[in-house]
Amino acid sequence: MGVKNKITVSKITESRNFGLLLGLAVLLILAAVITPSMYSLNSILNMLQNNAVYGLLAIGEMMIILTGGIDISIGATLSLSGVVCCRLMAENPGVPGAVWVLLALVIGGICGAFNGLLVGYFKMVPMIATLGTMYAFRGFSFLFSGGQWWFPHQFIDSYLAFATKRILGIPAILWILIAVFILAFLFLGYTTRGRRIYAIGTNRESSQVAGIKEEKVTFLAMVICGMLAGLSGMLYTANYATCSYSIGDAYEMTAIAICILGGVSITGGKGKVDGVVIGFLMMAVITYFISLLPGLSVWSDAIQGAIIIAAVALNIFTERSAEKRALKERGALI
Amino acid sequence: MSGEKNSNTAPVRDLTVKQGFKLSKFLVSWEMVLVYILILINIVLIASRPNLYFSSGTIQSIIQSGMDVCPLVLGMILILMLGDIDVSVAANMIFASMATGLCCQAGLPALAAVIIGILAGAACGMFNGVCVAYIGMPAVIVTIATSMLFRGIVKIVLDVNVLKQFPGFYTAIAWTNIAEIPLSLILFLIMGAGFVFLLQKSKFGRKLYIIGNNPTCAEYSGIDVKKTKLLVFVIMGAMCGVASIFFVGRMGGSVSSTMGTGYEMTAIAICVLGGVSTNGGKGKVYGPIIATLIMAFLTYTLGLLEVDANTRKIVTGFILIIAVLIPNVNKQLLANLKLKFIYKGNKNAEALNNRTLEEVKALKNTIAETRKDTSLSEPDKGVKIKKCEDKIASLQKKCKEQTAALLKEQREDERKAKERFAVK
Repeated sequence: MGVKNKITVSKITESRNFGLLLGLAVLLILAAVITPSMYSLNSILNMLQNNAVYGLLAIGEMMIILTGGIDISIGATLSLSGVVCCRLMAENPGVPGAVWVLLALVIGGICGAFNGLLVGYFKMVPMIATLGTMYAFRGFSFLFSGGQWWFPHQFIDSYLAFATKRILGIPAILWILIAVFILAFLFLGYTTRGRRIYAIGTNRESSQVAGIKEEKVTFLAMVICGMLAGLSGMLYTANYATCSYSIGDAYEMTAIAICILGGVSITGGKGKVDGVVIGFLMMAVITYFISLLPGLSVWSDAIQGAIIIAAVALNIFTERSAEKRALKERGALI
Repeated sequence: MSGEKNSNTAPVRDLTVKQGFKLSKFLVSWEMVLVYILILINIVLIASRPNLYFSSGTIQSIIQSGMDVCPLVLGMILILMLGDIDVSVAANMIFASMATGLCCQAGLPALAAVIIGILAGAACGMFNGVCVAYIGMPAVIVTIATSMLFRGIVKIVLDVNVLKQFPGFYTAIAWTNIAEIPLSLILFLIMGAGFVFLLQKSKFGRKLYIIGNNPTCAEYSGIDVKKTKLLVFVIMGAMCGVASIFFVGRMGGSVSSTMGTGYEMTAIAICVLGGVSTNGGKGKVYGPIIATLIMAFLTYTLGLLEVDANTRKIVTGFILIIAVLIPNVNKQLLANLKLKFIYKGNKNAEALNNRTLEEVKALKNTIAETRKDTSLSEPDKGVKIKKCEDKIASLQKKCKEQTAALLKEQREDERKAKERFAVK
């Protein structure tokens, strides 16, 4: 500790981000060859804008995966907050848009707190607990919407501005995404609470012995994830200016896929925000790429599934080989 | 603390396998609770729609409506028993139906098409199994990804088309009654019996319990954990193939790529409601069988009470949560509450009380044993029982005193701390 290691070529090639960047470069080149129309500033910004929601969800999901859990209710939370915000906004057009952002955060926070209560304090298996709440949130979302749709003419400008207004030529939703990335980076890397999330995921028992309250940390991670999901629900509706209860279906899968692509270990305790950013960029390029090619849209599900499996398998193999190498260095393996 | 002394006071573990039939225990077992719930739902249904309930064919159609998910439930029991989970079952089922449908379209005989469908399901299950058991990927992630993959493949092959050629007996299985009993229920019970045998009586089933409870222990006792896991996933896949028969029949002999979403959640919810632990190693087949019927009646009753499909989703979600919570609530939460309110957060007092309770229980057991013991004469028995009772009384007295002392100490400490900080 404390000793600065020299940067060598092998160190760069061995780090996980190198592989990710290489993958991203390959994808970009592939996209450039097949669809050159992708390379204009406008279309790239467009691509990022339409995928920004996934980035927010992935950061939230990452917090939970770091604790060793999983949350599959974020798609439903997104839908619930989107529907509540849209309905109230359409009924009270005079209220400024910032109120709805706060409301979305509160709704998401409540949903996340409920999950956190079940997983943290009642010790339910995260998968099963969030499976149940996924059903429940989606149902509540339908009840609140009454099956109604909302269309662009019902949206007020100050609401839409949070996603589409361009500041310095970049849409507001991207500024929010960048802010969340930076905040998450600082939170996970440089605060006590953030480090505790890693501690819980790495070794639950020893962190408990060290005096970390596991329930509280899990609860916190769940609440943060819920708040991000709620925020992304509001931003999603603002971005597309349409809303119904069925938005955000299976978005949790994409968020998990981004995390895994970004090198977050599914068993918890490993993963960095910069990896998730690269994973997010890769997923954005892939989805955009698929949507550009005619006749490929039916392939999108299968391709996404295959990518997740390949990424997890790669993740496990690299982890195993790293472990073996560490053992060899210590002389435990011949 | 010598070994001999310990064996006298510590409760001896009961190693007899059969504990005998006790009516009081049987009546509050989880399976019986499920039966009560089922009866309760029926009473609600009778009270709200008496004409409908007693008209012919209603109960049969209720049962038929819930049977399309039953093979998935049976397979899911085995998966949950391992402590794993499989959320790709619905996609797998659609994949298997597609295989059968394509074979029928190509003009293969019906039986061959069905077998190919089941084999396709088993192959998908094998893919999951290899990923989970041999590569060591987490089951949740693998099956989430494969559910996208399988459904994606169906989407690629079928696009927006609908397959309509299926063997004729498919619809017969889902819709006919034999002597007023739905054929699908009969088949379900036969399969259920098979699974009871597999899980409770066969070597394979007992292995699953060991693996679910402690995989490392299972590995060391010579069980090939990887192979068993793979086999379970293959069985699950084959059951998905069987489920496709029920499902396609229920849908009137057609299949498209968007059908059957959410079936995996229903299957898991039913298993959890039926008392199968999601941590693995706990549960029986009877529970989920009754829970399948409960789910069918519940969905139908809610439908009759004009509760729409999405509200029913909320109910399903909360049932899932509550079913998992109940076992947790009475153990952990009670202990926590007791610690907080009776012992005022003093862990020493809690530990002391718990230990005393155990010791008293052991002594009471010895009293009961001496009463039953015929080899001792009456006066001897009396003396021995008296001795034990005295011991219990003294233990309880001692425990009370010590708890009071501990609590007093704690109060004193708190007062001192307060004083010290109040001055500054």
